[in-house]
Amino acid sequence: MRARLIDFSRRGFLGGALGSTLVGTGSLLAAPQLRAGEDTLRFEHAYGETVLKAPARRVVSLGYTTQDSLLALGIVPQAIRYWYGDYPHGVWPWAQPLLGEATPALMTGEVSIETVAGLAPDLIVAIGSGISEAEYALLSQIAPVLMQAPEYPTYGMPWDAELLMIARATGTEAKAEALIASVADGFAAFRDRHPDWQGQTAACAAHDGGQTSAFTGGDARVQFLQEMGFRQPQALEAISSADGFYTALSPEDLSPLDADLLIWLSSQAKAADLASLAMRRTLRANAEGREVFCGEVLAGALSFGSVLSMPFALAQLEPELIAALDGDPSTAVPSAAKAGLL
Amino acid sequence: MLRLFGLLALLLLALALALSVGARPVSLAMALEALHSFDPTNPDHVTLAAIRLPRMAAGLIAGAALGIAGTIMQVMTRNPLADPGILGVNSGAAFALLLGATLLGRSDQASVALLSLPGAALASALVFILGGGLRGDVGPVRLTLAGAALNALLLSLVTAIVLIRQDTLDLFRFWVAGSLTQAASRPLAEMALLAAAGGALALAMAPQIEALSLGSALSRGLGTKPRRVQTAALAVVTLCTGAAVAVAGPIAFLGLMVPPLARIVAGHSLRRALIASALMGATLLLLADTLGRVVMPPAEVRAGIMTALIGGPVFMWVARRLRPGASA
Repeated sequence: MRARLIDFSRRGFLGGALGSTLVGTGSLLAAPQLRAGEDTLRFEHAYGETVLKAPARRVVSLGYTTQDSLLALGIVPQAIRYWYGDYPHGVWPWAQPLLGEATPALMTGEVSIETVAGLAPDLIVAIGSGISEAEYALLSQIAPVLMQAPEYPTYGMPWDAELLMIARATGTEAKAEALIASVADGFAAFRDRHPDWQGQTAACAAHDGGQTSAFTGGDARVQFLQEMGFRQPQALEAISSADGFYTALSPEDLSPLDADLLIWLSSQAKAADLASLAMRRTLRANAEGREVFCGEVLAGALSFGSVLSMPFALAQLEPELIAALDGDPSTAVPSAAKAGLL
Repeated sequence: MLRLFGLLALLLLALALALSVGARPVSLAMALEALHSFDPTNPDHVTLAAIRLPRMAAGLIAGAALGIAGTIMQVMTRNPLADPGILGVNSGAAFALLLGATLLGRSDQASVALLSLPGAALASALVFILGGGLRGDVGPVRLTLAGAALNALLLSLVTAIVLIRQDTLDLFRFWVAGSLTQAASRPLAEMALLAAAGGALALAMAPQIEALSLGSALSRGLGTKPRRVQTAALAVVTLCTGAAVAVAGPIAFLGLMVPPLARIVAGHSLRRALIASALMGATLLLLADTLGRVVMPPAEVRAGIMTALIGGPVFMWVARRLRPGASA
């Protein structure tokens, strides 16, 4: 049980491991398309090879965030894996419109093989699901199972590579390529709208249970900042953390977070702790009114780092960043004011 | 007596270290400057006033309280391996904390402290009742068994909440390894009062508790009323561990390892043993917390993990030296 809890918590904290390459490189990174016969689809992945006779229609989504890719491709999963958050059917606000009236089953905790079998799927998407090889073997008797491509860690398959892999298995490649292009266009248009932000420094941080930490290089949240045109502060870049996704900071020294823009990933439930964090007052971002507070939904969107959540996060963040980076410390950033950070 | 003064000197040394050691070197001159002209944007001043001072106070409260609670527990159960945790205090606090956070939608440190205290108190009262407390025959074995059973139940409930509500897991995993880092947002003054009340009660009742530890039949012959003494002892344990849990979360090993060490220093008078365990508990927790700041920069190792790391080997050494029955 203990190992399981730790595994879950890693997932909870490092969720943004998804989607860690830059937008637009996906088509190069997608698993090579190997065709044996005319009508079979073959997929190389972490646990071997999966063969599909025809594009799948009835799909169970076992990855903690793969429901976003499926919904974006127009496929409503039969069942969705619960990661965290109180949203119907495990579908977060940015993906809700695509769910429509459908009511996929929500699977919490361990993967119930019986539940999956009862749904009679013709494909099980387990990219970033953390299932074991034994579970994979068992599930494969029910339907073909897709795992992350072999070159990525369990929770580290980039969002665009994941989208293309699922698209190939469901016969929706054209749609996937259009989606990837539209996300890239969204970031490009954002950079064009804000040329003066390009090259400024930005940091993403969290404060939880008395522990302040910063997200680092390999993390989806940092990649997102870079897509917007920001770069990491030098001090953060210099800290190489054990797993490359985040680093814990000493409560006595938060100076690595000194940046032109400081984004706090938090939730209203924990906002009081962040507001009372005295060391925050010594940071330049605080003095100059350049702190942005992300509540549960926005922090979730950045952590999902999916084809659906990133455009959502970009739209939500833009007015906040405009208030934060206008060069006038007296302009209140709405989210920071609401969370009591000012 | 001389030995108690020795312990006091050690505590003062630990207090000095707790104030001066950390990621940020702070000099005496800087400390004085922070005292008379405090600047909230000066990292050195903030470190002293908002981090090290509250941490020091929390270490003092939680360490002393756990030392006292551990001593009383071990005398009452006549078991040198008894620990405040076996009264269900930690699991009770964890359960109340997660349930409260789920229902209220709040998980900031102030509400954590407010939720864990009643959880700890209710759990220890429940163990006392299950152990036969209302009928007035709390045997050591009965109490230990009731504690183990309730612990198992509460921990399964905690696991159930964590599995159903994934977001409570972050709260739980940060809380479960006790730490002094959140001291600034914990109700330190209130908990200091609770712990002090528990300590005073323990000192006042020490002779009767000692008599009861000889067995209820014998102690009745000596004129003590077992039920009243047991209730007082339970109140001490509840007040002290409740205060410690509210301030620092569960601190592993401290309540277990301090009493036998204190016995070595203080001899067989329970009153002196209580004073010695309060002093040693605070000293050890402060040293563990201070050490945790420097072993893994830039991050810190939580005090609850450091006490287990230091406490494990120390305790094994002590346990090997104990003669069965000699410490009760």
